[in-house]
Amino acid sequence: MIYTKKSPALLIMGLVVLLWGWLNQSGNLDGVQGWLHKSTYAEHVKAQDKFTAEVSAAAEKAAAEGKPAPQLSPPKSKFNDLKAEQANYSFIFGGIATLLGLGILAWRPREGHLDYYLSIFPGIAYLIFIAFVVRWGLDPLFAGWGKAAQPTLGWDFAKIFNLNYVVLGILIGILIVNVFRIPDWAANGVRTARFFLKTGVILLGTLYSAAELAQLGALSVVMIGIFVLGSVWLVLIMGKRMRAENSMTAVLSAGMGVCGVSATVAASPVVNAKAAEIAYTIGTILVWGVACMFIFPTIGHLLGMGPVQFGAWAGTGILNSAQVAGAALAFDPHGIETLKVAEIFNITRVLFLPLIVLWLAAWYVKHEVGAQKVNLGQVLVAKFPVFVLGFILMFALSTLGVFSPAGHYQGKYFSGEQVKQDKLLGDKDLRALETELVRLSGPEGTQALADHFTAKAVNIGQRHAAPADALQGLQDLIANRKMTSRDQDGVLVATAKLPGLEAGAKGAIEKASKAAWHSSKTIAAFREWLAWLFAIGLIGLGMQITVKSLKQAGGKPLIIGGVVGTLKAVGSLIVVLLFVREFI
Amino acid sequence: MAEQKFERGTNLSIFVSDRREDIGALIFALVIAIGVVFFVGN
Repeated sequence: MIYTKKSPALLIMGLVVLLWGWLNQSGNLDGVQGWLHKSTYAEHVKAQDKFTAEVSAAAEKAAAEGKPAPQLSPPKSKFNDLKAEQANYSFIFGGIATLLGLGILAWRPREGHLDYYLSIFPGIAYLIFIAFVVRWGLDPLFAGWGKAAQPTLGWDFAKIFNLNYVVLGILIGILIVNVFRIPDWAANGVRTARFFLKTGVILLGTLYSAAELAQLGALSVVMIGIFVLGSVWLVLIMGKRMRAENSMTAVLSAGMGVCGVSATVAASPVVNAKAAEIAYTIGTILVWGVACMFIFPTIGHLLGMGPVQFGAWAGTGILNSAQVAGAALAFDPHGIETLKVAEIFNITRVLFLPLIVLWLAAWYVKHEVGAQKVNLGQVLVAKFPVFVLGFILMFALSTLGVFSPAGHYQGKYFSGEQVKQDKLLGDKDLRALETELVRLSGPEGTQALADHFTAKAVNIGQRHAAPADALQGLQDLIANRKMTSRDQDGVLVATAKLPGLEAGAKGAIEKASKAAWHSSKTIAAFREWLAWLFAIGLIGLGMQITVKSLKQAGGKPLIIGGVVGTLKAVGSLIVVLLFVREFI
Repeated sequence: MAEQKFERGTNLSIFVSDRREDIGALIFALVIAIGVVFFVGN
């Protein structure tokens, strides 16, 4: 079979994207981009006008003094950064797609590995092309419409229904596969969607700190332990009551309890499940998962949940790994925190897989007359999802500092040494700090600081912060004109929130703190990769949600799945709202 | 996708097994991570 289809589609996509890049770089698209990103463009225009006025004032002053006009550097502009980013991505993607597109048209394919692997590129390019359209076009468009309709409707429909690039991408995928069809030249590449999602989950392992993982891990083991084991048990009980086949009940319990499709496949050999039973289970999980992926983020926003609460709920209540990622990114498309929490829960759930398979094997042998024994060890080794071990490997390498120094994982890191000369505190700032230092050194000031630190539970390492720490921190700040340690930064930022602190001193502390925190370029690059990997994977996931596959669900499995899935979702929501607090 | 016939892989994957897909994803993730460290640095 020849997989590579001779089609100009890849070449056309490459040329269109190259054109987009050139139009962005040359400024010919400023009107369109300004319309799509109204507030960013308004800020840009304001900053440009201010800069132009400063340049002309400086030039006039220099002319009056008989000096040459000074060279002023233009202000940083988010709008220009956005255009530059789109242009760069367009040139990289457009260049590769154009060359490959020409190659495919010129090449005469022969059956074999080269034909097979070359044939996936047009489909991958198709997913990336849709990701560009959604992320650069539809996402800001819907955000703008949501804001514009807010005065009339009283609420932002784009925000409430999560009409961001993640949800829109999945919806476009569903629309393409069900209303139109996936073009033949793209069919092979669209099957890489799950590969990209798995790569994203493994790469996510680089963004956790050991402390964060320990904290989240402990919470996830408790929650997942209760809800996974509870769901498996409930499906087994309901299956018996409803007189469903033992093998059907067993695969459904694995699917509803652990992690959807892969658990169903892993459990099927130990309970001798038939192909139709696996199809029913996968259909049920799919129906449930797709519904949750759209409903969970809306409920999360309506209840005002934070990243930890929502991530814990989605990771526990949604069944399939890809849909957990979809819901987490739909809830928080521009951050990574919710996804991080949700994936820890997802991975903890997958780690329960061997335990569940052993339980189901024992249950099946006990309940099924004449059940054949299967080599459990072999099944577990053959079916255990290795990508979970990949996640753990990446986390281990990250913890050893292979990818970025410790303390960078949240995207920002503290460094007093890297504070630039022009960011050091000025004389006016120092005077404001000196005045406050004298006031706070008195008995009333010391008492106010002590009360404030107690009320806000301010700590330095393992001990409570004392007024002396704040006074020492202020003296050091005045001496060095910058923050020099993270402890000093922590205690002074808390001091800045002391009621009654003079505005100048407060501003100086905030300015010094801001100057000492830097963005980690490595972590920013990892986040960018993750956003694209998940966007591409989730668009492809949408293309795998066909009406035909949803119709596979039905009968007793759908009833049992619906009851257990609802109980799990509602139960985990109540537990999360009552007991889980935000801590990252 | 359901109607499509493939001699290799499945409807959901270009790989012949989940294990191969997982290992492929791990290798790709390592390539990205090394690329980020090499080209972006800290």
